[in-house]
Amino acid sequence: MSIVDPTSRAGIAIANSGAAGTTPRRSRAAIWKSALLDRASLIIPCVMLVALLLVYASLRDGVFTLDELNLDTAAAMTLLLAATGQTIVLLRGGIDLSIGGMISLGTVLAATRFGTDPGQAAAWAFGIVAIGGLVGALNGILITVLRLQPFLVTLATWSILSGAAMIILPTDGGALPSGWTMFGVSSWLGLSSSVWLLALLLVFWFWFKRTRLGIAIRATGSNERSAFLSGVSPIGINIATYGLSGIFAALAALYLTTQTGAGSPTIGKDYILPSVAAAVIGGISLFGGRGGLVGTMIGAFILTLIGNLVFVLEVSSYWQPIVSGIILLIAVLASSIAEKSARRSLS
Amino acid sequence: MNIRRHRAILLAYLGMIVLLLLTSVVAPGFLSATHLRSTVVLAAFIGIVALGQTFVIIGGGIDLSVPWVLNSAAVLMTLLANSQDAPLLWIVPVLLAAGALVGMVNGFGVAIFGVPPIIMTLAVNVILQGGILVYTGGAPTSTAPQAIQFLAVGRIGGFPVVLILWIALAAIATFLLSKTAFGRHLYAVGTSATVAEFSGVPALRTTVLAYTLSGFTAALAGMLLTGYTAQAYLGMGDPYLFTSIAAVAIGGASILGGSGHYIGTIAGALVLTILTGLLPALNLSSGALLIVYGAVILVTVSLASEALSGLSAFLPRFGRSRGPSA
Repeated sequence: MSIVDPTSRAGIAIANSGAAGTTPRRSRAAIWKSALLDRASLIIPCVMLVALLLVYASLRDGVFTLDELNLDTAAAMTLLLAATGQTIVLLRGGIDLSIGGMISLGTVLAATRFGTDPGQAAAWAFGIVAIGGLVGALNGILITVLRLQPFLVTLATWSILSGAAMIILPTDGGALPSGWTMFGVSSWLGLSSSVWLLALLLVFWFWFKRTRLGIAIRATGSNERSAFLSGVSPIGINIATYGLSGIFAALAALYLTTQTGAGSPTIGKDYILPSVAAAVIGGISLFGGRGGLVGTMIGAFILTLIGNLVFVLEVSSYWQPIVSGIILLIAVLASSIAEKSARRSLS
Repeated sequence: MNIRRHRAILLAYLGMIVLLLLTSVVAPGFLSATHLRSTVVLAAFIGIVALGQTFVIIGGGIDLSVPWVLNSAAVLMTLLANSQDAPLLWIVPVLLAAGALVGMVNGFGVAIFGVPPIIMTLAVNVILQGGILVYTGGAPTSTAPQAIQFLAVGRIGGFPVVLILWIALAAIATFLLSKTAFGRHLYAVGTSATVAEFSGVPALRTTVLAYTLSGFTAALAGMLLTGYTAQAYLGMGDPYLFTSIAAVAIGGASILGGSGHYIGTIAGALVLTILTGLLPALNLSSGALLIVYGAVILVTVSLASEALSGLSAFLPRFGRSRGPSA
């Protein structure tokens, strides 16, 4: 199915080995051009983010302050955590729709089981993350053993998890300990806990992408067959990929409850497609193997900023989906065109 | 008939019959003519939306723009008609054409610009959603015209009108898939767009046509559904994203494209509707319904998957001497 493209990213060692040396000598300008085109999928969202920031700053004072950073990071963080898991799955060449169900289930479990005892709350927080990992691992097993499409398996588990959430808490509500909801307002060195969480995610990513697992996930997404021939276990990689996605969905749920202070059996579906959109705006290919978490973060901030812009422009909030959809299309079209011309300039 | 190729579709009908038998045991009133009739009418709405979805999925794509194409058609029809029958003569054709046009845009994005179907149709869906919300300001619209209500809930000689419509559409879909060049091209494109292109199949035109059809059926279902509920409301299309894809999957089509048939989707739509009707009879909550939906999708797609084809040893020998099916 997947075709090895020797002109693609230099970072993908497995797909690229052997391509070097066959490239004819090229002028400095051509090398720069191809280097730019090669990174277009990350440059385009960066340009979009800067443009949006400048528009936002022209409409409102105090955009480039720590307060604004703290607020925007808090607004983007749930989507960002969900999109981190989605990014890992997309890099492997899959998709995870079940994160919607896991986020709903996580919030209702937190809102009904935490109680007032800190020890109990901590135990359940770990429990929710463990459930996320287990559910994700189950997705991975079903996909591998039954040889089913990730889209269908996770559609089914999304439905099952949403159903479980609705049985536990039929309507929005429940309560969380007051200490728990203080997480969002706590800060250190002028930076809120959300910004520190963002930094932690970045550290995690730069560590993770160099681990054996990180490389194996990317290699499998690049070319499943050659990854398998290089010794990557198909079932192991799927359990790890979808398990991580489930864990991040659970973390997104926990973060969400610190913001809302309640559980909701239906809130998760608002994060499924936006998590894919954030990743795709950030230059991650749905065909696997390409992109990284930095792109996804930019994508998530772009989507969050659109919400802010609609707010300061004082137009109907219904404009938000329109602008998000257009930005999504522009990002995909631009990177697809850049990719095509990159291929043309090399061949 | 090559039964092996149709194993997945046969399984869907088998599942439906088993479900009906189970139902008649646990909820005896369920098999009455009245109840069956209302079940089939509800299945018709899913079936009509899933018609276009079937074509798109066979062609190797997916249409996530269904909810707001459906909703837009419903809202615009009630707004423009203002409860009058006469304007429907131009409103219905115009909205059907508009739905088809949205589908065509999806098709162009996917086939010409190479945008992944999930992203293309998702973007179109949110743009339509925002557009309709901005246009209406989120306010409710007037009631559906009488003529549309007749199409959705009326009967001719005791036979629901919408069912007649569904049967006619099913016949057209079956004809298109089984007897026309477009149908053969669609399976070819869904199996491998590259191979199809090199074999002289007009891949671009075939893909665009499939999405166009999906826009058309979603708009049609939106207007009919408005007749059924007597009013258009925002969010009325949302459940149809899940049910249209689920009906196609339960009906035995591979989400990768290249296989399946609308005949299977019909069984899928019926299975989903029977389950929806069955659970209240068992005093189960909507949460339980979602769990059952998920389990049914998992079980049916697993049974249809090649990995479990060993199980067919337990079934009658369905032409197993044949080579691997295309």
